[in-house]
Amino acid sequence: MLAVESLTVDYGPVRALANVSLQVPAGEVTAVIGANGAGKSTLMRTLAGLVRPNAGTASLEGQVITGRKAEDIARMGVALVPEGRSTVPELTVEENLRLGGLWRSRAERAATQQEVFDLFPILGERRTMRADTLSGGERQQLAIGRALMCDPTCLLLDEPSLGLAPLIVTQILELVKKLAEESNIAVLLVEQNAVTALRVAHTGVVLNLGTVVMVGPAQEIASHEELRHAYLGY
Amino acid sequence: MTSFIDYVLGGFGSGMIIALMALALVLTWRATRVVNFAQVGQAMFTTFIALSLQTLTGSWVIALVGAMVAGALLGVIVQYLVLRPVKRADTSGAIIATFGVLIALQAAAGMIWGGDSRAYPQPFGNTAITLFGREWPVSAYDLVVVGFAVILVVGLTLLFTRTNLGLAMRATAFNPEVARLSGIRVGRTLTIGWALAGIVGAVAGVLVAPTSAISPNSFDILLVFAFTAAVIGGLDSLIGAVALGIGTGLILSVVSGYSDSSNAPVVALVLLAVNLVLKPEGVFGHHKARSV
Repeated sequence: MLAVESLTVDYGPVRALANVSLQVPAGEVTAVIGANGAGKSTLMRTLAGLVRPNAGTASLEGQVITGRKAEDIARMGVALVPEGRSTVPELTVEENLRLGGLWRSRAERAATQQEVFDLFPILGERRTMRADTLSGGERQQLAIGRALMCDPTCLLLDEPSLGLAPLIVTQILELVKKLAEESNIAVLLVEQNAVTALRVAHTGVVLNLGTVVMVGPAQEIASHEELRHAYLGY
Repeated sequence: MTSFIDYVLGGFGSGMIIALMALALVLTWRATRVVNFAQVGQAMFTTFIALSLQTLTGSWVIALVGAMVAGALLGVIVQYLVLRPVKRADTSGAIIATFGVLIALQAAAGMIWGGDSRAYPQPFGNTAITLFGREWPVSAYDLVVVGFAVILVVGLTLLFTRTNLGLAMRATAFNPEVARLSGIRVGRTLTIGWALAGIVGAVAGVLVAPTSAISPNSFDILLVFAFTAAVIGGLDSLIGAVALGIGTGLILSVVSGYSDSSNAPVVALVLLAVNLVLKPEGVFGHHKARSV
């Protein structure tokens, strides 16, 4: 489980996150939803160690991860798939996958790579092609595959739906849900597209201007009309 | 015609050395997006160390290995003490800082070994090879130089394409954030890149020294040629650096042969200017050039 406690992040004079607390249980998908500028990406980048928090902590299975380097947090089991399908376009599909978890033993990595190919068969077919020849959806799968190669106990997905066709988004998110449940991974999903995110999530967290305004079962949040109007804009 | 062929062949040895120095520049560029103008200063310094070792032990091989070790250490020191703190501020500052390191190294070498040119002993025969009834403008030593260059290029290519370290280095160069999120220790990887460049530069220095001489400023002109080759080669490409390094060596040899060797730097700079106008991303470059 990933536990976030009173996390506060300032960008200069601007408070991006204020006292954010939430929990991401293993085996479940927790969706953080909110409008543009709500602090969703900041939350993810802080958890991954790319941004230093001003106050508060995050811990994975009781071990504090905030304040550590991004590479150490990755090795501790927190894998972030950043916004924008971040793969290395100059490298092949297989090289992009190999990047994840280079510190693990060769046998472990080979086993995980096979699991990734089973999960996303298209990556196996395209393994020798350069990442920049893939379609948007394929690249998103590759980015998730790279994160899985790190053998994470917590997977952070930042806006995976960005720029993808709705059908592909649903397919990918269903796979992520299955993965969370079967491999007992704690998945934190950040989405602007609240409807899609809440459909796969177990728990929903509504973020507005850097503060958590509501936490509850995903279905409850999806059907909460006032909340939708006030913060999610639909 | 005979003299043309001779001039071309005569450029191979020096072309290989330009290629190695260009390779060193490309290695640091790939690792940290900084052109290290101190590279020739580091090579000069390690070549002086090699000369001291050679005088002490009489062994060319020990001198070469010593220079390589010193080159790696010096690369790490420069990256750690100068580049890391400065790069945090801005990139153009880092490039200026490498000029500062160059001047500091030259001054230090002058204080330690004196400012005069010194001869570097020839490890192998420097007489022209005779084959098919004529003398060729290629010596056994040139062949050794070519051999070293080939070994280094093949070795580095294998390192980059076949090993985890090479993969980590490429990923760090292309996208440090993704590398970091993948658990790669980016800082350490960059330092290794500088160490490798230091080794390659050190080899180039020891190889070129016997054909010229060694003084604190003797490699300055090599910087002009290597920089030209690296930039025309696309700065990101190992193969580009080597191909253009050899090419530059051949062109300069022909120019020197038909006119005067003092024209060589001018020709190099003209080539560089033409390249920047016609194909600024370099012959082997993938990236679109930045327009200013």
